[in-house]
Amino acid sequence: MTEPTITARVFFEKARSGQLTAIRCGACGELAMPPKELCPSCHAHQWQPVTLVGDGTIASFTVIRVAPRAHAADVPYAVAVVRLKEGVSILGRIVDVPLDKLAVGLPVRFRPLIAKDLTASVGFGPA
Amino acid sequence: MRRVAVIGVGVTKFGLHDRTSAELFAEAAREALTDAGIRASAVQALYYGNVVGGETEHQLHTGPQAASVLGIPSVPTTRFETACASSHAAFRHAVMEIAAGVSDVILVGGAERVLNVSTAESTEYFAYASDAVWEQPLGLTFPGVFALIARAHMEKHGTTEAQMAAVAVKNHRHGALNPKAQFQKPITIEQVLKSAYVADPLKLFDCCPFSDGGAAVVLASEEVARKHRKPVWVLGSAAASDWMLLGDKRDLSRVPATERAAAAAYRQAGIGPSDVDVVELHDCFTIAEIVATEGLGLFEPGAGGRAAEKGLTGLGGEIPVNPSGGLKAKGHPIGATGAAQVAEIVTQLRGEAGPRQVEDARKGLTHTLGGNTATVLVSLFGRD
Repeated sequence: MTEPTITARVFFEKARSGQLTAIRCGACGELAMPPKELCPSCHAHQWQPVTLVGDGTIASFTVIRVAPRAHAADVPYAVAVVRLKEGVSILGRIVDVPLDKLAVGLPVRFRPLIAKDLTASVGFGPA
Repeated sequence: MRRVAVIGVGVTKFGLHDRTSAELFAEAAREALTDAGIRASAVQALYYGNVVGGETEHQLHTGPQAASVLGIPSVPTTRFETACASSHAAFRHAVMEIAAGVSDVILVGGAERVLNVSTAESTEYFAYASDAVWEQPLGLTFPGVFALIARAHMEKHGTTEAQMAAVAVKNHRHGALNPKAQFQKPITIEQVLKSAYVADPLKLFDCCPFSDGGAAVVLASEEVARKHRKPVWVLGSAAASDWMLLGDKRDLSRVPATERAAAAAYRQAGIGPSDVDVVELHDCFTIAEIVATEGLGLFEPGAGGRAAEKGLTGLGGEIPVNPSGGLKAKGHPIGATGAAQVAEIVTQLRGEAGPRQVEDARKGLTHTLGGNTATVLVSLFGRD
């Protein structure tokens, strides 16, 4: 029996409850996040969901000061590419870290950001 | 495969216009047809770039709409959308259609209108070219994308904000020599460094402007081109793609799609980076020019910032980059940019660029990047 494919909807449902979910290729072992149909390494379709610990470091960051309309009330806000301990990376908002303390290599921990309509997005706070 | 030439070019002034994008394209197309000395009835297809027409002008189906406004409604017309590289993608497909022997004369162009909406709106529309599920909800903007690239480049190679500022100063100096540029005023390093942060470490003067404008070029088979003045030959034209998501890119200090497209275009042309005399590349942000000069093989990885600071990429330098002023000073009407870059290189190789002419330019390169670096096109040109 094959595991259900992790769709974006499933990813964000799990994220809302605090779990960061990647997928591992059953054919070659490649780890991927977010979900993809085929393994980018061997093109197999044999994914198994993997729950990540949620710890990582900032690979690059920026502080956005001119925002799209929907985010205008949030400025200034920090966005970063975070490299997770397991080796995959994902873009997220950085919260509860003073903007002048942001640095490449800074340890951070996954923290779902829950909107008023209860949808989750990817965030990271201090480790 | 047949040889393909550019036989005519046309570009509107870039900046604020009170005309629709189709009208802007039509002006550029008429100029290109006149420049080619060819009748509109000879055009067998229109390949057209337009990106946010649906948002800023409530206009989809912009290909045939542009053809109708120009007055050639019956030619087969296709609109290309690869974000900021749209009309370069259109150009490459037109090159292939002529090379394959399907058509002899194709009009390629593009246009954009964005200055009719607010900066907050255009910032949002441009962000649509990043992922709607994984990136847009986080408030990622285009300056934000290139700020992440800039930070990674600074971290890995020691690139400085002053080196990035040198790119802006150089491109404004060039833009001051281009009567069609949006900005025709030189700026100083201090002005760039003192401008407000948009997305740290990128400041306002590290960013190209929002622009309205149109551009067009006429492509022809060798047989047709020989009957016209000064054909400029297409030596190669290649596209490459990369991951949409920034998190999937392994090294944010590089743009692998630039490296792949460049390698393919050089291979088609049978030349290398050292053979190129003049370059028009995609400097949507100052860091984008630095990373592109490395990806195109003009400088070693990590050396682009120092090269800019030393003046190697200015007019009169080792390899002049963006003599038109680039996106930074000439402006960046995103659907038009790829065609406008081709127009500049053709003008340079004809020796008709006036005060911004690169001396004895024989081979030229255009490089256009789409959005979050997931699309890149590179084309090479030569004269007889």
